[in-house]
Amino acid sequence: MMDEEHFDGAASNLFKHYNLFPRSIGQILHSFDVEELHLTFTQGRWHYGDWGYPIAPSAGTGVELWAWLNGDNNRVKANWKGLTNTLSGLFCASLNFIDDTITIEPKLSFRHEGLYNVHSQSSPSAQQSFNTDTNSTTASPKRLRYGSLPHENVCTENLTPWIKLLPCKSKAGIASLLKSHKLFDTRFYSMAIHIRPVCEDEHCKVKSLELVQTITTVFDVARKDGSFNWSISELFERDITQACPLATTSKVILHLPQTTQFAHQYELVPFPPQGIQTVGSTAETRQEIAVYDLKALFSGTRADSPFQLSMHWRDSRPKSVRAVSPGIVAHRYFTGYGQERGGLAIEIQNNNAQDVEAIYLDTLPWYLKLYLHTFSIELDGKTLDNHRDLVKKMFYQPAVDRARPAVLELALVLPARSMVKFAVSFDKVFLKYTEHPPDANRGFDVGCAVITALLPRERGQIGYGALDHLRIYQEREANLVQSARLEAVAEARENEQDKIRVYTETLLVSLPTPDFSMPYNVITLTCTVIALFFGSMFNLMTRNFEVVEQTKLKEDKGKGKKEDATK
Amino acid sequence: MALTTVDSAGDSTLKRASPTPRSLNASIIFSTALALRIALFQFPALTTLLAGRVEISTPITSFKRCTPTSRPLLVNLLYVACDLLIGYMLSQITVLKDKDSAKALKIRQFGDRIEEPGMDGLKVATFYLFNPYTIASCIGRSTILYSNMAVVAGIWMGMKGNKGLAMFSVAAAAYLSLYPAMLIVPVVLLLARNDTVQDQKKKMALQCVTIFTGSLASLFLLSYVLVGSWDFFSSVYGTILMVSDLTPNLGLFWYFFIEMFDQFRPFFILVFQIHVFIFAAPISIKLRNHPLFVAFLLCTVMGTFKGYPSFGDASLYLGLLPLCSEIFKYMRYTFLIVNLFLYSSLLAPIFWYLWVYVGSGNANFFYAIGLVYGIGEIILMIDTTYALARRDFEAQSPPETSGEDPSLGWDREVIQK
Repeated sequence: MMDEEHFDGAASNLFKHYNLFPRSIGQILHSFDVEELHLTFTQGRWHYGDWGYPIAPSAGTGVELWAWLNGDNNRVKANWKGLTNTLSGLFCASLNFIDDTITIEPKLSFRHEGLYNVHSQSSPSAQQSFNTDTNSTTASPKRLRYGSLPHENVCTENLTPWIKLLPCKSKAGIASLLKSHKLFDTRFYSMAIHIRPVCEDEHCKVKSLELVQTITTVFDVARKDGSFNWSISELFERDITQACPLATTSKVILHLPQTTQFAHQYELVPFPPQGIQTVGSTAETRQEIAVYDLKALFSGTRADSPFQLSMHWRDSRPKSVRAVSPGIVAHRYFTGYGQERGGLAIEIQNNNAQDVEAIYLDTLPWYLKLYLHTFSIELDGKTLDNHRDLVKKMFYQPAVDRARPAVLELALVLPARSMVKFAVSFDKVFLKYTEHPPDANRGFDVGCAVITALLPRERGQIGYGALDHLRIYQEREANLVQSARLEAVAEARENEQDKIRVYTETLLVSLPTPDFSMPYNVITLTCTVIALFFGSMFNLMTRNFEVVEQTKLKEDKGKGKKEDATK
Repeated sequence: MALTTVDSAGDSTLKRASPTPRSLNASIIFSTALALRIALFQFPALTTLLAGRVEISTPITSFKRCTPTSRPLLVNLLYVACDLLIGYMLSQITVLKDKDSAKALKIRQFGDRIEEPGMDGLKVATFYLFNPYTIASCIGRSTILYSNMAVVAGIWMGMKGNKGLAMFSVAAAAYLSLYPAMLIVPVVLLLARNDTVQDQKKKMALQCVTIFTGSLASLFLLSYVLVGSWDFFSSVYGTILMVSDLTPNLGLFWYFFIEMFDQFRPFFILVFQIHVFIFAAPISIKLRNHPLFVAFLLCTVMGTFKGYPSFGDASLYLGLLPLCSEIFKYMRYTFLIVNLFLYSSLLAPIFWYLWVYVGSGNANFFYAIGLVYGIGEIILMIDTTYALARRDFEAQSPPETSGEDPSLGWDREVIQK
């Protein structure tokens, strides 16, 4: 049993009007000329096989930052450096370590998400397909930068600045539940900010910036006493006492469990005022939800009492809960042994009944030297000689020592109900002793690979279109929700497809270590050996031979004897 | 002191008068070497194993890091052919050298007996072709083989007096692995060895330097045309000179620069690289009458003190060593040197395994073996140089034997002053 709470503290406004939009973010975007920004902090690993896809976009373990920046290459390079350093200060994270050695520029993944860009193109679906040519339609050049820190620990000091961006902070509304002691004691925790440009009207004459903040956590409610019953006050140890007065909408939406055989296994307290609703057009994708409008609740008669919500199961545990079957599941692992060389294997399972187009993006640090000629593909356990059927496009950027990472990006067609496996081997580089982390024998974290795919929506799952999806539930009447946006959302909804990103595991690679106590010894010994050669050679080059005279020898011996005698 | 010259030309022509058994022997040696290599190439596992050894493949010479080819058979044959060609060229160099030494001053020892001749060409070739280091780096497909071939070709052409080809070969070797650039000095010495007039020598040297520079420039230009940019310059020679890849090998650089403090790194890189090149000058001046030995010594210096040495370098200088076989009997530490080489070659793979795979050893184990190997090479250089100087002394000031104790021969007591 799991429970996901999604908080959409969206605060959209015109740029430079800081009544809702956080000034700190606005200034950062302005000074570094950022078009679009996505920053995600994640602790733990999302179990796709057990949990389906996350409601809000959450990344692999650690910190992930990607942004579209305006300007030419040199300017973007400088701005990206400034951006990472400033965000590092703002969020108390080590984002400044995203330097050139780990920054990449994906060619196929991480396209624009701003609706401005969707609108400015002929069809919104073109942006979602493998079209790499998005830059050509816009006037000013934009460049993508992507970096991730898999070893970054996410904790309270990152949550506090995140809360500060909210208009009501954690004083009111759903955000008042955010107690770090409880949030970080979960199986998965992810918080993000997403900033993108949107259009205000159909012809996109007026643009605005949209800031979306999300927190995703997975509670294990049965961990404590084996009971699957839960309540908000138990989970968070806090209550919602009032709705944020600045918010247009403030709702708690509950996805109800999908039980197959036994109806009415659980009881919701309180029962939603508008009853159980359903979303999804077909039987396959239908999903029951319960909506609690906090604005309405706190304006009514029960305004003084805090909002309580709990779920009680009959027999304390659910029966026959429909298992989730995510369309694409991916795993990545190291092969081989020893500290000299190794291999990387990626398994992508497509559970869909139809072929799926997907983009695979992998960033490997420069200290793993990839050998692309060892790249091999297996389909359902059989090695393929011809990659063309599966790999439509391949983009490979070789690593440069101490300068940039290796990037492998593949546009794939995954056959229906199949398992595709890639393997590539690499050598491990021997690093200088100062390049090792203080806990050298723990190894180096290698960030996750990302698979981007358009997947048909399934029941109980809301994928990457979720943010837009949720807005429909909320029926936001704010004048910012413009027709262009609705069109794009409506189209995605009609297709019943979601663009999802599947993140693989973060890996740990151990590199050969030198003896860290040896610097002086090594310098001394090596220099001694070199001096031995230099000295002897100098000797041989400068001196000549001379015969030791027999008579002289005798004399010497005689002298010695005499000396002995005098003693 | 009277210098006595004994002409042994008649003796040597007598020896060379029977060509049939000699060519028969040669064909046996070369075909055995060929068969051995082709047989070993039949085991792909062995090729992969050897190609993966740090003692054989360095970042500069690793076949894996080159573009993989689809025709392994042809590539293998190319390696075998190059190896055999080096063997052939070594035997030819010996023949030319024997001709030279026929005219040279002979050493009188043990009364009036003359010095025995050194190894003949076939023996020298055999020594090279059946050297385990040679076979290992050939089977391991180390690209150092091509550089070695260029070096040996340069020496051979130098012996033959072919200025253009000699300089082109040295330039090719320098183009392939940079350090052989210093071999220009011994090869010029070889080319000028028969010139007696000083002006002629100078003219020759000037011509040689011009040809060398021209060949090197055209090789660079050719790569520029093929690659399309000058990036290869920094990626190839930058890696060689800056020692940016610290993959362990049997050299002295890798662990030193892994452990070196960052602020001293450029200084020590500069000192170590200058140290490799600096010996070209004093050795060439002091031993200018022995250009072949200078070539051997400089190759050994390279093979010892370069950033990425491998067994391929050892196979080159151990191949050149028998060209100066007449100095062997003046060497004092042959037993020690042989043991140091055996010890380090056998223990290096074991200690590597202990460090990288088992984890029961650490980096110091392999580093220590590298030191032992280095000391072996250093003692080899010192001892051969000593032996050469000692033999030179013997030729310049032979012992007075008439009526004296015959034991005052080549093993008489001398001191360096």
